[in-house]
This record gives sequence, C-alpha cells and structure tokens, in this order.
Amino acid sequence: MRRHILIFVALVLAISGCATTRLAPVSSGDVAFEQDEKRLWARAKEETDALKNGGVLYEDHALNRYLNQVARKLVPADTFRSIPFVIHVIRNPHLNAFTMPDGAIYIHTGLLARMENEAQLATLLAHEMTHATHRHAIREFRSTRNKAAFFATMSFTIGSVPVVGGLTNLMGSLGSRAAISGYSQAMETEADTEGFHLLRRAGDDPTEAPKLFDHLLDDTKEEGVAEPFFFGTHPRLSERIGNYTRLIKDLPPAARKGARHPEAFLDATRRLLLENAHLDIKAGRFGPAERAAKKSLASRPKTAGAHLVLGDIYRQRNAEGDMDLAKTHYTRAIGLDATNPAPHKGLGLVHYRLGDKAAAKKALRAYLTGAPSAPDRGYVEETIRQIDGRTQ
Amino acid sequence: MRRRAVVVGLLLCILAGCGHWLRVGGPYTSTADGISLEFPDGWMRSNTEKDVVLITRDGVLLQYMMVQTFHVNDALRFTKKKFRRDMLPQEVAEVILDNKASNPSTLTFKVEENVPAKVGGRPGFRVSYTFKNKDGLRLKGLYYGTLVDDRFYGISYTAAARHYFDLDRKTFENVFRTFRIDQAS
Repeated sequence: MRRHILIFVALVLAISGCATTRLAPVSSGDVAFEQDEKRLWARAKEETDALKNGGVLYEDHALNRYLNQVARKLVPADTFRSIPFVIHVIRNPHLNAFTMPDGAIYIHTGLLARMENEAQLATLLAHEMTHATHRHAIREFRSTRNKAAFFATMSFTIGSVPVVGGLTNLMGSLGSRAAISGYSQAMETEADTEGFHLLRRAGDDPTEAPKLFDHLLDDTKEEGVAEPFFFGTHPRLSERIGNYTRLIKDLPPAARKGARHPEAFLDATRRLLLENAHLDIKAGRFGPAERAAKKSLASRPKTAGAHLVLGDIYRQRNAEGDMDLAKTHYTRAIGLDATNPAPHKGLGLVHYRLGDKAAAKKALRAYLTGAPSAPDRGYVEETIRQIDGRTQ
Repeated sequence: MRRRAVVVGLLLCILAGCGHWLRVGGPYTSTADGISLEFPDGWMRSNTEKDVVLITRDGVLLQYMMVQTFHVNDALRFTKKKFRRDMLPQEVAEVILDNKASNPSTLTFKVEENVPAKVGGRPGFRVSYTFKNKDGLRLKGLYYGTLVDDRFYGISYTAAARHYFDLDRKTFENVFRTFRIDQAS
C-alpha cells in the first residue's frame, strides 16, 4: 500500500511539473502566449535593454533600416503583429547571431562582413526568425525544466534531498545561451527547413543558403581558432551546410534560382565592412580583414578607407614584401583623401622601418599637422627626435 | 566529539580556501623572469597563477596588480598578433591594447592615454584605458610595458573605476618605481 502511495505521489508530481513542449508555431496575429512564455519575453526585454545600455550596439541607421526591411519581407504581416521582429547589430568581429523569444535579433558585425549578398543575409534572418516563430526558447526552457522536475520528483521519491537549482538562472542569459551553443539539433534543423521555405517564398535565391555557411567554415579553418559562438563552430556549420544542400537537392531545377541583390547589400554594409576590418586587424585576423578591404575596393576602387585598412594590415603583418605593399596603399589613401591623418602616420612608420628617415620624418610631421592633439603625439615626437639624432 | 569534528572541518575548509593566496610585502625577485620589485604591504599574491605575478588587496574583482613577461614568439591570448624584436614602443603598445580590446569578455574598451614612458629604465609605454566586464562593472587600467631584445615586460594595475582605482593608484605607482628589469637568466 505504502509503495502504491509513493508511486502515485511521484506520478502526480511528475505530471504537474511537466509542461508541454509541443506548441503551435506563430503564424497569425492573434496568438495567446502562455504565462511562462510571457515571463520569458519580459526577461528578453531586460536583456535587450542591457545590451542597448551596454554600449555594444553598432549604430548605423541606414544599415538598421535595410536589415529590418529584409526581415519584413520574409514573414507575413500577421506574424509581425504577434512577434515584432527588430534587427540589431553588435560591434564584434566574431561570427555570431542570436534571437530573443520576443523577436529581437542580434547579428555581429563579423558575421555581416562575411556575407556577399542579400540572399545570404535573408538565409540567416529566416533561420533566426524561425527560432522565434516556432517558439524554440520556451520549448527548450520547458524541456529543461521538465527534466529538472523529473529529477526532483525522483529525488523526493527515493528519499534524498530534492535540489532544483538554477531554474531562475535559466530564465536569464537567454541570448547568451542561444548565442553560444544554439538550440537542440532538432530545433536548429527546423530553423534551417522553415527558414528555407521563408527564403523561397520571399523570392531569394535558395542556392545562396549553403554558400554563406561555406564561407564561414572556410574562415574558421583558415584562422585555426575555435570561435566561442554557434556560427563559428565546425560541426554546427557543417550541419547547416548539409541541411541546406539537401533542401536544394529536393527542389526542381527550375526552382533553384531567385534574387541575390549583391549591390544593395554591399551599399548597406560598406561602412560596416571597413569598421569590422579594423576589429579583425586588432584581433590579428589579417586574412578576413584583407578580403573585406578588397571587397570594398572591387566595387569602389577610390575608397581611401579601404586603402588605409590594407596599409595597416601589411604594415602589421610584416611578411616578405608587405612593407612595400603598405607603402603603396598608404600613398593611395593619402592621394584620395589627404585630410585624414591616419595614413600619414602609417606611411611614416613604414618609411622608418625601411630606413628612409627623411621620408619618415616628413610623413610623421604631416600626421601631427593633421592631428595636433593625437593621443600618440608623444611617440611620434620621440620618433622624430630619434631621426634628428636627439633622444630625450 | 561531533562539535570538534565540525570545527576541524571548518578550519580545513578555510585553510584550503586561503591556500591559493599568500600575504606579501617587501622585495620580490624572479631570476627566471629577470625582474625585481617591491610588493606593497598587506596585499595577497595568487599562487595559482604560474605565468604572471598577480597581487590584490580586496579581491581581483575589485583591484589587482599584475607583472607579465613574454617571449616575442609567445602567442597572446586574444590577438593573433605577435611582438617583433625591432618594434617601436608605440607598436608594442598597439599589440598590448589590441590584445585587450579583442578579449570577448571586455566590453566598450576605450584608450584614455597612450604615451612614451621609461619602464625599468628602458624606453617603453604607458597606457590607461577603461572597459566594462561582462557583469557591466566599469573598470580602469594602467599598463606600463617595454620590449627588451626578445622579451616583453609589463606591469599593470586594474581596478573598479569607481572608488577603487583612485584608492590604490598611488600604491601601484610606488610599486612601479621599484620595478627593475635585470633580463631573464
């Protein structure tokens, strides 16, 4: 009898602790979200506010407008009424993007800089938006909570101390959890599949979908660095490539085409491309920075900023022949925009390294004239003193 | 008997916890790293950090001083850039700052000052900067560094920008004045 009571108690506790993880996707404007889901949204809002106040967002109104326009064409207006998607950009060279359950989507500058066209951007957005429309955050939260409830119930039944630690913490750090490890493999596959349908419905070229992840995979291989984020890890990228390749194979040949809009994408991301290249240079990732600058120059050969980026890359990489390349690009940057002091300093340092002290002094003086209150004025003056044979 | 066991257990826990930190003060020399300096009184040194000298008074979350040396071929933690023997002090400072700026746990990294300075009597740099950690705490740092032949020597102070940084800045400057480079053996 006592055994039956214990089993009954265990069953009641297990059932009451288990919330369903089968939730209908959001496809209309009149979805009734459940209580725990609303709490999750409230937490997401707090995290969004923290990110806004943390000074990590990349501010470019034209880019934000463009990204949100691309997002809007991917899902029906009804869905937007339930989940008001807003796309934000984070200033960070790592390959990453993540979605909050309330539709706030964050993309790192590093990931945008690796894309080639709008169809690739739409692939990523459609994947991320599916996480929100298919309510992956609450489903995963409930799944984890059910497991915890199950273990707590079992612990109670067998007489040990029930410990359900960390449930409150689970509600927090939503973005960071999804950003670092992504969702379960099944949910990520669902995001690939449903996202692929959104992409096709919007008229974007579906064959671009795996190319985005191919580029990312090449990048991570080249850099030989294990990125800490979902879109920078080899197995996860290989999964994406495999899924999208299978989805394309299932399409009739006539359906394997669509819009790519490379010009519109490049126009919107032009400033970001070079600013992210500077972040890549800081991280010593000269390959991606060089590709970004060359991509910028390919469409607009007279971009002084791109020549400055290339000058900085070659000066700091310092491989064989790099100093001459740096000199060429700094000189071009000055020729296109003599008012920017930065290439004058770079050129001065290159001349100094090549032993042309007179040219170094001239360039460094031009730098100080253009930037009289430069924070590194002390160094430059010291270098000029050394050239003159006067050390302090 | 039971009470005594509890007391012994507590003592063991406290000792195990304190085992990572040793009270310091007075002269310190590392012949392996080729450096010497004078520790401030009342600070604690971590003995779990093998590659750096790390001391704090109130805990590393609030303030710490650190002495580091690298060989030019050593890989830095957050940037793939490396030092070169022939670098100018400002180029060395650039590598150190870029390593700090590339730390994913460091948010809104901002350089406030970057100037030439003598470090252990050698031409080097002094940089000051602010940043936020992942918990949103604003921290301030001061870093002196120099490259001597194929070795980099750095001595830094990091503390919570509010209250703590100013509180021990003078202590750090006093430690810095005693910092000598005798070159690694």
